[in-house]
Amino acid sequence: MIKVLPLVILGLMAADVAHAGNDNTQEAFALLKKIANATRQFNYSGTFVYQHGGKSETSRIVHYVNNAGGEFEKLEALDGPPREVIRNNDQLTCYLPNLKTVIIEQRDTRQLPVLVPERMSGIVENYTVKLAGNDRVAGYDCNVVMLEPKDNMRYGRSFCAETGSGLPLRTRTINEKRETIESFAFTQLTIGGNFNSDKVKSKYAAISKNWRVDRSALTVSEQKADAGWVVGHQPAGFRKTTEINRSIAGRHGAVSHIVLSDGITAVSVFIEAKPKDRVVAQALAHQGAVNIYTRPHAGHVVTVLGEAPAVTIMQIANSLELRVNSASAR
Amino acid sequence: MEKLSALIDGELDDQEMERQLALLKQNNDAQDSWEMFNLIGDTLRGDSRISSDFSRCIAERLALEPTMLAPQRRAAKNVVRNAMSIAASLAAVSVVAWVAFSNNPLTAPGSPASVHLAEPAPAQLASINSQGQMNEYLLAHQGFSPSTAIQGVVPYIRSVSVSPTPQNR
Repeated sequence: MIKVLPLVILGLMAADVAHAGNDNTQEAFALLKKIANATRQFNYSGTFVYQHGGKSETSRIVHYVNNAGGEFEKLEALDGPPREVIRNNDQLTCYLPNLKTVIIEQRDTRQLPVLVPERMSGIVENYTVKLAGNDRVAGYDCNVVMLEPKDNMRYGRSFCAETGSGLPLRTRTINEKRETIESFAFTQLTIGGNFNSDKVKSKYAAISKNWRVDRSALTVSEQKADAGWVVGHQPAGFRKTTEINRSIAGRHGAVSHIVLSDGITAVSVFIEAKPKDRVVAQALAHQGAVNIYTRPHAGHVVTVLGEAPAVTIMQIANSLELRVNSASAR
Repeated sequence: MEKLSALIDGELDDQEMERQLALLKQNNDAQDSWEMFNLIGDTLRGDSRISSDFSRCIAERLALEPTMLAPQRRAAKNVVRNAMSIAASLAAVSVVAWVAFSNNPLTAPGSPASVHLAEPAPAQLASINSQGQMNEYLLAHQGFSPSTAIQGVVPYIRSVSVSPTPQNR
């Protein structure tokens, strides 16, 4: 009996999974797509709380889509030092008044990680996607979609999407102990309504003219950059989605940037030449659910970060190899 | 050392805490001491987290040394490493005991325990709050992340979350 019981339980679980594979998963996927579209298509404004590591911060957000489909967003921190992030289609501008600094991050629209079918397959391989009931956030009813990781190389996610629009009212990142390590949750939200572009402009736009400006740059070319770096021991389920040459705002020198993704989680690898006068020791840090690992390697500084567990980040960083003269050998 | 101990006990004021954390970040010896202090503290408190730390420790050592039953003796560099290896040995014994005595019907007889133990584990490296030091890299990363894109610009609060002060840039 003792030996049979687990088999019976396993059998029941298998039946449950098979069932989920039909209805629940497909509905859950449909909801996931709806969420992704909603954040791009709707006008909304509200207040949300960002919680991580026992801390919480309140911010305001305004998202405005003009008649031509252009997207404008304004994020304003309400606690602590004032900070604003303005998004103007694919350009992000961070205003840091206490540093009198503006950081401009240029994104390449062709590289934007939208949820397309080929990436969706990555999600199925690596997560169990399912609907997990209803909840209420910021006065709205919402449906919960869960992404449960199939191994310990990635975190779980939960999105609670507003029943009508699909806007994500609450997003949680969950670790292997089923603890929430980071969450974004609206406390007040207005969906729809008429906006004008003034609402998505920074109040520092005028006075920041004399501030320091740090700007990143991407080498936008049709040909893929290949600096010869390979991740020798890629964590299961992760694929390389991008490899570009770029610069980082406020830092000197060219940086190779490789992005690996499992469909929902992304890990970035930054490789840059180590300045002679800089001492680099290996270091592990975090910012919310993002783990960051830095190590010196073969005369370079390797920085790997992403919203994935430290094991995943470190495995990628520690298995990075430079293929010997990949270009000149031929 | 005293400062580290006070840091663990939460007896430092904010300014001193920041300073000690910054020191920790730069200094490998201090990191070793920090881990040792925490290990001692956890042990004294009988903290349950210690078991997971232990198994992580063994997993790591096993991955490095497949000949688990006859481990090579290394010249211990310092007290910390000595203590760590004792801890690992104790933990190894407990895992062997666990594998031997737990009669888990789902584990086929003779299935290698190393399947679980060989999982990659982070080195004994304490994770510190990035204190806004990596904001520009975070900013560069987020545009490529599907989980960020799905939420619009909301997650960008991370990349300005702790604004670095001018002197630590």
